[in-house]
Amino acid sequence: MDPNSLKRTRMRYRSERRFKLYCAMALVLAGVFLVIFFADIISKGYPAFWQAQIKVDVSYTQDVKELPFLAVGEDVSELISRSWFRQLPRKLNEHPELIGTTRSKWVLADGAVDQYLKDKPNGLDKEQKNLVDRLRNQDRTKLAFNTYFFTQGDSKLPESSGIFSAAVGTVYVMIVTMAFSLPTGVLTAIYLEEFARDNWLTRAIEVNINNLAAIPSILYGLLGLAIFINYVGIPRSSALAGGLTLGLMSLPVIIISSRAALRAVPDSIREAAFGVGASRWQVVSHHVLPMSLPGILTGSIIALAQAMGETAPLLLVGMMAFIPEAPSGFTDAATVMPAQIYTWSSAALRPYAERTAAAILVLLAVLILLNLTAVFLRKRYERTW
Amino acid sequence: MNDAQVKMATRELNVYYGEHRALQDVSIPFYAHQVTALIGPSGCGKSTYIRCLNRMNDLVPNSRIEGEVYLDREEIYSTSMDAVELRRRVGMVFQKPNPFPKSVYENVAYAPRIHGLARKGTEMDQLVETSLRKAGLWEEVGDRLSLPATSLSGGQQQRLCIARALAVEPEVLLMDEPASALDPIATQKIEDLIYELKSRLTIIIVTHNMQQASRVSDRTAFFYMGEVVEVDDTQTLFTRPSKKQTEEYITGRFG
Ligand SMILES: Nc1ncnc2c1ncn2[C@@H]1O[C@H](COP(=O)(O)OP(=O)(O)OP(=O)(O)O)[C@@H](O)[C@H]1O
Ligand SMILES: [Mg+2]
Repeated sequence: MDPNSLKRTRMRYRSERRFKLYCAMALVLAGVFLVIFFADIISKGYPAFWQAQIKVDVSYTQDVKELPFLAVGEDVSELISRSWFRQLPRKLNEHPELIGTTRSKWVLADGAVDQYLKDKPNGLDKEQKNLVDRLRNQDRTKLAFNTYFFTQGDSKLPESSGIFSAAVGTVYVMIVTMAFSLPTGVLTAIYLEEFARDNWLTRAIEVNINNLAAIPSILYGLLGLAIFINYVGIPRSSALAGGLTLGLMSLPVIIISSRAALRAVPDSIREAAFGVGASRWQVVSHHVLPMSLPGILTGSIIALAQAMGETAPLLLVGMMAFIPEAPSGFTDAATVMPAQIYTWSSAALRPYAERTAAAILVLLAVLILLNLTAVFLRKRYERTW
Repeated sequence: MNDAQVKMATRELNVYYGEHRALQDVSIPFYAHQVTALIGPSGCGKSTYIRCLNRMNDLVPNSRIEGEVYLDREEIYSTSMDAVELRRRVGMVFQKPNPFPKSVYENVAYAPRIHGLARKGTEMDQLVETSLRKAGLWEEVGDRLSLPATSLSGGQQQRLCIARALAVEPEVLLMDEPASALDPIATQKIEDLIYELKSRLTIIIVTHNMQQASRVSDRTAFFYMGEVVEVDDTQTLFTRPSKKQTEEYITGRFG
């Protein structure tokens, strides 16, 4: 080899190595951020899954029905969650046989006690801290698994607030979203791919659908507000209003992915079916649709996951609100997981901070699960023709 | 031999793709229980022509057709003829085997089912078996009917496609280069099959292979640049062509 071309070869190798290094560095950087993000969110959110309880002697007397604070000793009553006291009268009405008895029970501690036991900044004064320390030495405090977090709705008392109402709200909203956008999107895609003639009108529609997928999601909130709430008159904050708004947002994504799935079915299959005398609808429903179903489902699941994490459009239809009760219908006021996360993240009290992170963890787990389902579907039904 | 009955015919058939005229005034008669081969250089319009015979070309956007196509003296582009019913009577086999990605059984049973030709159960089983037998595939796959069709060999797949077409008992079978994607042995089987099927139906076959045309067909039409140059008995066309272009093509001087 002549020296010139040898030199060029060496330079080519060197620049290739350099480029490879840059790529690797970018990858490492992205990886580091991901690790930091997960470590941060897990370390912040993990404590929320454990909640302080205190063992106290509860004496059920007739007076407790009127003044629940009398059920425990005056000293410890400040350390117990007010939400526990609140349910006492009802409990006594349901179980009158308890009246006159005294029992030793584990009860939900106040949020400040919880934070103190977790070595976090808290609002306890010196005396209260000493009391908690004493109880701890007597083994009368513990951190138990936080079932409240999963069974309770939002609350002004951090220790008894949970994601239940938001999770139920999210389920309702997603049901509406899918019920609206899946059939509409798939049928639109079928019409455009299988029935419509290729002319300027269908091309214009196609361009517009592609543009819609790129529109900032908050505009869908405005659209939802204008159409569903102001014009149709669907109640504000309802799962129906939120679901339809998110459905509008998912529609372009579902149409685009469904069209891609339909287009992936080779024409030879359509020819074969037409060739034996199938009608156009038979060709679509017997052959093209079943073959493209995995692709359609994959796209829809991804659209669903996207909608599930969406907050901006819901802000405008009033779903970002304090809603302690889980909705029991599609027109009840509801909130959703990301909205709950947002509400908690701006709350002042400390225990809400760990709940914010814990709710993010739950949402992340669900989203990862959905995406894995999509990947699984794609792999499972991947086929070559 | 040519006083046989005319099963299908085209008269002055013209096909346009947009502005491009792909076929010019093509008139060919097809006789019942004969095999007619369509030959000609690539791009001369053979596929276009054969696809007009069962209105598959209707599905091509931008295509336009003028002229008449008759099946038993009935004009197939007239409004009284339904494209779906026409395609039941005029079956088609494509260049590349294109079985449905379903079981062997399903592939054959599909068309009879949508046309309501056989009831589920033994009647359908019977029909599937006879169709596979007609296509010479029963011996090979009769015991593996639930196997996915795509797991068969290329030649078997093509015969499955023929069985699928035969299951609705068509009167005419169109074949567009049915053996061009197959090896010589599979090709031989298809040719034998064509010879056997002739007694049941009328066959029109496009082929690039001159030997194949002379082996399987009774009559041959030579296409060139969208026109039919010559139609005659295969024997005559290959031994004493009346047109110079035909002679040049069959002796391999162009195309
Ligand atoms: N869908 C279509 N749109 C536009 N033009 C087409 C279309 N199909 C075929 N043509 C044109 O029509 C002419 C005839 O094509 P056709 O496929 O019928 O030829 P062929 O004889 O079957 O060729 P081959 O032997 O290569 O299969 C060609 O010029 C081709 O470019
Ligand atoms: Mg062709």
